[in-house]
Amino acid sequence: MENCDVTIVGGGSAGLAALKHLSSLGKQAILLEAGKEIGSKNVSGGILYSKKSNNGKIYNVEDIYGESFLNESPYERLITKYILNATSKDKIFSIDLTESHDYQTNFGVSVLLNKLNSWFAQEAQIEAEKLGGGIITGVHVRSLRWDEKSSKIIVETDELEEFETKVMIAADGVNSEIAEMTNAREKFSPSELYQGVKVLVKLPEKIIEERFNITNSDEGAAYLFAGDVSLNLIGGGFLYTNRDSLSIGGVYHYDSLLEHPIEPTEIVNAMLRNPLISELIKDDVPLKEIDKTLPKEEQVRKSFAITKLLNNWNELRQLYYSHKLKKKSIEDRKYTSEDEIKSKLDNLTQKLTNEYHTKFMTNYIELEYTTKLVPDGKRGRMKKPYYKNILFIGDAAGRGLFIGPRIEGLNVGIDDAARASIAIARSLDKNNFESNYLGDFYSQSIEQSPYTVDMKEIDKQYLGVILNSTRKKISPDALGFKHKLVFNLISNQGLRNFFISLINKYGYTRLLSFIESEDVYYKIPIKIADKLGTVKSSTYIPQIPTVQDRVAKLCYHEDTISHIKILNSGKNFLKKMVTLCPTKCYSLEGNDVVLQHEGCIECGTCSKETEWRHPRGEKGVLFKYG
Amino acid sequence: MTLNIAVIVKLEPDFSEGSVSYNPDGTLNRAETKSRLGAHSAIASLAAFYTKVKYGGYISICSMGPPMAEIALQEAQSISDADELHLYSDRLFASADTLATAEVLKQGIKKMNTGKEMDIVFSGHRASDGETGQTGPQTAWKLGFTFLGNVIDFSVDLNNRYIFAKRLVALPGFYDIVEEIQAPLPVFIAIDPSYKPTFDTISLRLTSGRYLKEAKERAVNYKSYLNVLDHKKLELDPRLVGLPGSPTIVHKVEKIPKARTTRSAELIEGDDRQGIINSVTKILQLIQK
Repeated sequence: MENCDVTIVGGGSAGLAALKHLSSLGKQAILLEAGKEIGSKNVSGGILYSKKSNNGKIYNVEDIYGESFLNESPYERLITKYILNATSKDKIFSIDLTESHDYQTNFGVSVLLNKLNSWFAQEAQIEAEKLGGGIITGVHVRSLRWDEKSSKIIVETDELEEFETKVMIAADGVNSEIAEMTNAREKFSPSELYQGVKVLVKLPEKIIEERFNITNSDEGAAYLFAGDVSLNLIGGGFLYTNRDSLSIGGVYHYDSLLEHPIEPTEIVNAMLRNPLISELIKDDVPLKEIDKTLPKEEQVRKSFAITKLLNNWNELRQLYYSHKLKKKSIEDRKYTSEDEIKSKLDNLTQKLTNEYHTKFMTNYIELEYTTKLVPDGKRGRMKKPYYKNILFIGDAAGRGLFIGPRIEGLNVGIDDAARASIAIARSLDKNNFESNYLGDFYSQSIEQSPYTVDMKEIDKQYLGVILNSTRKKISPDALGFKHKLVFNLISNQGLRNFFISLINKYGYTRLLSFIESEDVYYKIPIKIADKLGTVKSSTYIPQIPTVQDRVAKLCYHEDTISHIKILNSGKNFLKKMVTLCPTKCYSLEGNDVVLQHEGCIECGTCSKETEWRHPRGEKGVLFKYG
Repeated sequence: MTLNIAVIVKLEPDFSEGSVSYNPDGTLNRAETKSRLGAHSAIASLAAFYTKVKYGGYISICSMGPPMAEIALQEAQSISDADELHLYSDRLFASADTLATAEVLKQGIKKMNTGKEMDIVFSGHRASDGETGQTGPQTAWKLGFTFLGNVIDFSVDLNNRYIFAKRLVALPGFYDIVEEIQAPLPVFIAIDPSYKPTFDTISLRLTSGRYLKEAKERAVNYKSYLNVLDHKKLELDPRLVGLPGSPTIVHKVEKIPKARTTRSAELIEGDDRQGIINSVTKILQLIQK
């Protein structure tokens, strides 16, 4: 049987950081990824942060990949504006929270995970290869057992001969099968989860910069939304600017969704229909229409000609609105000047309009629809994130950070990965993988992480920064008596500190249901927007695709065997899945729920009461952007 | 100990493009047909890659053909991570039948890897153009190697220099059987189209990943791995190659059915002056290339 020192299961940002860091520490490690390619199963909102803290060391992305991360990695935009928008119908009230975003932050960058994780993989692979390790894709771990004598883990996969490993890092995400196989933790309960839904909207680079008032082409904005866009659910919306696309979606408490089931696609649609967002995403979208009265051959000829022209038009338009591509094409002498590109683009538009009667309508273009479950670290993090010689990191250990407008996951996973790597390197040096040497050491290290502290306690200073930003814009009189009283109380620094000390002592998590309430998520924002907001109007109604259209755009490597098994088709939970499954895999036949797994995007929304596995290696959905 | 591996590949018409051109008599017009590495040659290259990953080895790939056949060698290198590419190109080799081709290939294989003897020579099952499936067996015969056809799986005992191969023997109208054969090295293997390598251990996966990355890099600079040899360099008797060396008399050639075209065309209207100028410029640029 073959063997290796360290096996990392899961090639997301956390797993890859573990591979890179272990290799930097001189330890051989292999990483198993179920997807056909690294990044193809990864989804994020998403912003990746680099943080600093007074509470101790944070292992940031640049600690793992080098100080030149910002110069070399394919991130999208450096977030320099952070705006919270309260919404009520067509009224919007915006509060600038950039100060709170910058709190203890080195930087925050918007990312598309497929691209970013591919870069992480490339960097990690170079280091891992030197020590005989590396990344193996298309492999799905089926089961684990322990050699009684050596205590090594024997790994059984769907694709490879079984092998032995001294230690394992489980980085297999929120629906961790390693956690389930080992009973290291219970499946996350709905109260410990959020459901995230996102669509990626295409928009040319320069148009993004104009719409969001971005002066530096590398910078970008992040908008949060609270109020009626949340459809009376506990959650909120987000809009992040990427290089030439926008990530738009919502993140919702899963138990709130179970209580009032709503199609996830409706959550994102509510965002898209908001007049502020509709105006931000709008673009000229050509409509390919062919005169059906023409002879068939003529229709084919026209269709071909229009498609070709539209492809050229799209390419040229992307070039014209892009800084780098345009500069390069002029340097490469493909075009002599910006004016030449513009006139060619205008000619193409004219040709399409005049000769082929192509209409251009105001609408928007969706590139990808994704969903993901996100663990709430405040409630669901593993208190001891290990089992025997397996260490859990990132989402697998339930370590998402959601504190008011602070939403972080990728950086927490990277911090965990570094801590796990250090613990494992120490164990490998002493050849001691006992729980009291490896697991406890890692567990203590995780407890000391400033991220864990933030999951356990309210940061007085951070709350102060948020309140300062809010106070600048909102008069307490706009809040109504009850909320005005609370607002005034917590605005007083002495009183606030006293209350927070009391709350932290009593146990912050016990009060979460009061803090994360309907009032905070939509009632107060609606009230504020109604009283203080300005009316926004949209010049068009976005034509929103159906779920079927969205699923049809995704790429799948279909597995004939379903990775999900229904345990009890008549159960109430499953009936809710008919609404809550983001790709409508469940439907009702009489009183029974039936499953068609082909369209599954592996979010795990239905995993709580089904037998849920990830698809076998290389199978299932392949996200292009993530 | 590692293996010396050779692969013989062929540049073949790309039927999938629907770009096949025919002579008036229905035979293939090779000069006007777009070509690429033959599908069976690609499988042979994959078998060589598997051998290199599993047992270690030095891969030499050869092809007999016109200068443009180097693109087939490049494609084969990107699949196999070949260490050396041989193109046997000479006007004297034109109009060769399978025997005359085998003569060139045999002589070339003897010159591979600075003249070291090959342990395994791989070829495809057959070509897709003018197929008779004889070049492989005839080359094996000329080399004096054991010929194993229709091989679907194999393993090598490096210490005892044996190969264990599984052959798929199809019995028309009856069932297929798998024949297991043990043969001493060197051998000539014609790989079956159904062959699929399995990299089913972590070390095989890691090695194959490393070699595949190397293969892509090598294929970009394939010219630095390429040796073009004519009959003189190969020390071949002109009477044994090309038309003089071909005893075959073609009795009848079946006409090739025309594949459905999938290529796209750009339509230029008669009065579109600029369009015509653009397309003529494009054509001139292509000719110059």
